[in-house]
Amino acid sequence: MARLDLMKGTLALLILRTLELEPRHGVAIADRIQQTTRGTFHVRPGSLFPALHRLEQEGAIAGDWSIVDGRRIKTYRLTSAGRRQLAAGARDWARVVEAMRLVLETE
Amino acid sequence: MGLIARAASVWRTIARGRRLAADLDAELGAWVDEHVERRVRRGEAPEAARRAVLAEMGGVEPVKEQVRDVRMGRLLDETLRDVAHAWRGFRRTPAFTLAALATLALGVAAVTTIFSVAHALLLQPLPFRDPDRLVFVWADQTAEGYPRAPLSGPELRDLDERSTRFEGFGAIWATTAALTGDDLPEQLRIGLVTSDFFSLLGAEAALGRTFTIDDESVEGATSILLSDAVWRRRYGGDAGIVGRRVDVNGRPAIVVGVMPAGFRLMMPPDSAVPDDLEAFQLFNRRFTEGPRGQRYLRVIGRMRAEVGDLDAIADVARVGREISAAHAFYGASGRQFETVPLHVDAMNDVRRPLQVLSAGVGLLLLIACINVGSLLVARAAARAREAALRTALGAGRARLFRQHLVETLVLGAMGGALGVGLGYWGLRLLLRFTPEALGRLHLATMNLPVVAVSLGTVLSWMAVLALAPASQAPSASMLEAVLDDRGHTAGRGRGRLRRALTVAQLALSVVLVLMALLLTRTVQRVQQSDPGFEAGGVVSFRVALPGTRYPTQEAFNAFSRRMQESLAALPGATAAASWSHAPYDHVPNWGGPYIAVEGADASTAPQADYRAVSPGGMELLQVRLLEGRWFSETDDLSTAPVVIVDQRLAQRTWPGASAVGRRLAVDPFVTGTPATWATVVGVVTHVRHRSPSDEVRDQVYFTARQATRNPSVYLVKAGADAAGLVPAIRDTLRTLDPALPIYDVQPLTAYVDRARALRSFTAVLAALFAAAALLLAAVGIHGVVAYAVTERQREFGVRRALGAGSRELAGLVVGECAVMTAAGLTLGLLGAAAGGSWLQTQLVGIVPWDPPSVAGTVVVLVVAALLACAAPVRRALRADPAVVLRQA
Repeated sequence: MARLDLMKGTLALLILRTLELEPRHGVAIADRIQQTTRGTFHVRPGSLFPALHRLEQEGAIAGDWSIVDGRRIKTYRLTSAGRRQLAAGARDWARVVEAMRLVLETE
Repeated sequence: MGLIARAASVWRTIARGRRLAADLDAELGAWVDEHVERRVRRGEAPEAARRAVLAEMGGVEPVKEQVRDVRMGRLLDETLRDVAHAWRGFRRTPAFTLAALATLALGVAAVTTIFSVAHALLLQPLPFRDPDRLVFVWADQTAEGYPRAPLSGPELRDLDERSTRFEGFGAIWATTAALTGDDLPEQLRIGLVTSDFFSLLGAEAALGRTFTIDDESVEGATSILLSDAVWRRRYGGDAGIVGRRVDVNGRPAIVVGVMPAGFRLMMPPDSAVPDDLEAFQLFNRRFTEGPRGQRYLRVIGRMRAEVGDLDAIADVARVGREISAAHAFYGASGRQFETVPLHVDAMNDVRRPLQVLSAGVGLLLLIACINVGSLLVARAAARAREAALRTALGAGRARLFRQHLVETLVLGAMGGALGVGLGYWGLRLLLRFTPEALGRLHLATMNLPVVAVSLGTVLSWMAVLALAPASQAPSASMLEAVLDDRGHTAGRGRGRLRRALTVAQLALSVVLVLMALLLTRTVQRVQQSDPGFEAGGVVSFRVALPGTRYPTQEAFNAFSRRMQESLAALPGATAAASWSHAPYDHVPNWGGPYIAVEGADASTAPQADYRAVSPGGMELLQVRLLEGRWFSETDDLSTAPVVIVDQRLAQRTWPGASAVGRRLAVDPFVTGTPATWATVVGVVTHVRHRSPSDEVRDQVYFTARQATRNPSVYLVKAGADAAGLVPAIRDTLRTLDPALPIYDVQPLTAYVDRARALRSFTAVLAALFAAAALLLAAVGIHGVVAYAVTERQREFGVRRALGAGSRELAGLVVGECAVMTAAGLTLGLLGAAAGGSWLQTQLVGIVPWDPPSVAGTVVVLVVAALLACAAPVRRALRADPAVVLRQA
């Protein structure tokens, strides 16, 4: 697993995890990530929206349009493919963490 | 993401780009608004808040740009990745790639070449204005052995005056004329036409104009319209030619125009109007007043815009009925006209061979695609473990499928591109060997519709074939495939599919091989069939004696005799004579009715071909005399008319009795009625001088001394070096009359070769296709058997360990091969039998189930199959029990 891939995949994994409980729109996703990581990850729109569209195109998430207060809002929800991707991603992540721990904690 | 979903995504991204942009605006707008509101709630001024938010996110546009990059980039990226993956895969398996590419290229090349030809000959419109409005009108005299006879002048006038559904009728008749005066005398092939002929066709002159009705009334000089070739050759392309006076047959003619380069009439071969007419002149003014029986006009009509084909045909038929009733000349049978659309008629002769060819290449392409499909199945089987492994590692089935489809399509595109290149080359090669009868073929070019159709066909076939192995690839037995070291289980179903495909292509090649053999045997038959004359060692040329200097038949005969004597006396020459026609030449046929009983109804009299031969002419061509005598120099204008007839006529007219001494009424001067009584002095075998494969009509031969034909063909029989005699012949003619144009100098065999060319051409093409098909089928068998051997290598090793001999192992492999070959042969022969009647029209003297051809097909197929499984048998015999058992 390449290092860059891992970093690129991190935001996607965070987004998938954020959408696991309920569908959210862009702002809510960014807020939620910031909130749960206690501010470690401040998600900028320049990375959030490309990531969202990439995931949408891959079929991991799907966007739905609704009108709130007369404004068109796009809400994203997790698809079943996205759920699988999240599970696989979480497993991989756990293995990476374990591997890193082994490397860093061994002599 | 599946291919369909991806295609939909591409579609959305590209086709609905505007809608997506609006969506993105709304999405980002919501983000900005939300963050502005938050800042405002914290007490910031709205304007400042908005500026701050935008500054923080670095502007809306760059974000949109990034999102767009993601959407488009991913598509390109994945496609490029798939293509690159496919390319790496091809490079890993060069044998597979080469075989598949060669197969596809062969199929595509054949299809593009032949479709280009078919497109030019059958689909491209004739180069006239609204060509689908043009029809030919023939006189139907099938009862007299002349299904498509020309019309006479009065009949053309009747059509013009009585029909109501036509804009008009024009006519043409091909003859020759001498161009003299300003340069060396030259004999031209000219078309005599009606003044409205070109305007009816909608053909324009490149320089000057075509004829108008006014040209008919010019006193003192006729008009002439030159072809581009004559204009360039004789007048150096002088733009000031229009209006200049030239001499035609010793009479002044004014050049009214020059036709465009490449102008061709493209009339059907039986119209006797050659494509390479060199000039056009008008019929003499009173030609519509000639006798009704004097038929020479090839008539073309233009239907009015709103008139349907059937309506027009009925209109012409009505005119036929009206004139039959009005003129006692037509007798009881009357006059029937046949009306045929020009575009149908122009290609009468080549339509069927082309259809056969197109069907042939269609089959070939199908075989090629099946073969590649079969190779793909084998490859899929070989990669079953890779696929299973990748599936197990999380690659989606859709992803694998997409990759497979991309691979197949990339293969199809590469093979297709190679094939189009090869086809372009093939077409040029073909054009170089095209027989003259297919003159229009030279219009054939590789064009967009043809390339699009053949590439489209290949790619759709490839897509369909991609589905077969792909649907099997990551199957339910994936786990077994991974567990089983040899991919054994997964191979079974695929093996059956491959065998079925191979049997199918074997069957198709059986059909093609049989077709090629039948056509080749036909060509052989035609070439071996006795035409009734011997053309070898004979030089021919034509001379036309100008009527101004040889005004009487006596003068003509005297010169002709002198020329014959001088030519025969040339060193190396053994005989010289004249004929009115060369075999299979372009000169309009000369013929007419004959009656044997005085007072018989001339309108229903049988028709014969007439030929005029000088004394010694029939002997020179080694025509066989069955009865009576040849013509002699004493049969001339001072003695009673004599004729020689062919066996056909003699048997029809006087069955069981001798024809010699009988009298026959004929019409050598084409007056319309058989009124010249002549005595039959000899009977000869039928001479096939109009068709190398068929007896066309009864034949009456006149002596050239009594029935003058000008121009005539002169023949000089030489020993070995006929061509070497040509300079001496030219010298002789120059000595006899320096102003005499001599033309069409060529060996007599050239006429015969041209007449056979179309048939040989078809047979050669068919043989090429059959060879290609056979090659493909052999590759197919080889692939299947080789694969089966690989699959069973362990089994063979075990058998060998248990004591099986080489013979037994070979038997196992050959058995597999034999079963497929037998199945393919049976299916193919059954298929050929079903299509046999269709092929019958192309065969001469043999039946579609011709035993030697069928036997030949079986032998060829069996040999090809044996060769194809030779290598796999060797591999099977090499199965080493030790190695195999160690693997187990």
